[in-house]
Amino acid sequence: MTHRADASSALDNRGYAGPLIRGANPITLIETAVRDRITESLYWKEQCFGLNAATLLDRAVDLSYIGGTYGVGMRPTPFLCLAFKLLTLTPEKEIVLEYLNMGGEEWKYLRALAAFYVRLTFEPVDIYTTLEPFLTDARKLRRRRKEGYVLMHMDEFIDELLTKDRSCATSLWKLPGRQQLEDLDMLEERVSPLQAELDELDEMEQDQDG
Amino acid sequence: KGWDDDEEVAAEDMVDDTDGLDPEAEYAAWKLRELKRLKRDREAIEQREKEIEEVQRRRNLTQAERE
Amino acid sequence: KQHLFNTGQSGEVARATLQDVRNRLEMLKQRKREREEEDKRMGEIDLDARLKKTED
Repeated sequence: MTHRADASSALDNRGYAGPLIRGANPITLIETAVRDRITESLYWKEQCFGLNAATLLDRAVDLSYIGGTYGVGMRPTPFLCLAFKLLTLTPEKEIVLEYLNMGGEEWKYLRALAAFYVRLTFEPVDIYTTLEPFLTDARKLRRRRKEGYVLMHMDEFIDELLTKDRSCATSLWKLPGRQQLEDLDMLEERVSPLQAELDELDEMEQDQDG
Repeated sequence: KGWDDDEEVAAEDMVDDTDGLDPEAEYAAWKLRELKRLKRDREAIEQREKEIEEVQRRRNLTQAERE
Repeated sequence: KQHLFNTGQSGEVARATLQDVRNRLEMLKQRKREREEEDKRMGEIDLDARLKKTED
């Protein structure tokens, strides 16, 4: 099986016959204006050409910040360009998990990239079960915003993906609340590693009230 | 990496993403973030339960008014 | 033709398998270790040179 090196069959929406995400061509998960910024960029044209899910890693391990677009002309970050490339490749779930787990252990920006892709393309229950373990990953992440760089952490980025409706210049489709899925017995309650401490704190508070 | 210009690389370095510089502080900071999240989530559940109770209370009132 | 295929110049790129991805990660990890070793050695050489200077 092959891809077009320039991703042309994914980019031409009319003739699209590939896998659908949320019922549509995966690239439509990114807004048209942002898509245009990406495909017009030098990084897309020079660095993303001819990649598959294996060679894409060469670029991903060189990422040094996350982000959507920046600057006056809404320049796309390499992070966003690679996320977009992944949407044109639609790699198998097991590959995405390899990026996230094994790859991500070694390279934190690869983990962030994979997490972003998971949020956009996986089913709700899988999004929670796949991403929540990384709420314990405290590694620092550089984020490029319009005006400049800020510092954040992996756990904050994961939390953002699970709770906000926008990230990295992308609208995140509505994720059913965790509570909803728990009520439907589709998800187990999340137990934080700090649960024991939290319970202790609660007991202390109750003793004080009583 | 050569496609990025020098000015950009300099700005990037202003924000240091090096891990393990102070493991204890980093862990403590993470703990704080995690506890805040847990608190936030719990309050959201309590809020939801209050709303359900309120709806229930109103329903009971209307019934009483009917009688 | 195989070479063209590999570099994407034929316009088609082979789809990666999980094994391809694992192999690539291994290779990149190797490369990263080698660079770290290299940097470490460069650091030591530099230190030696500076120590030597203070001795002279």
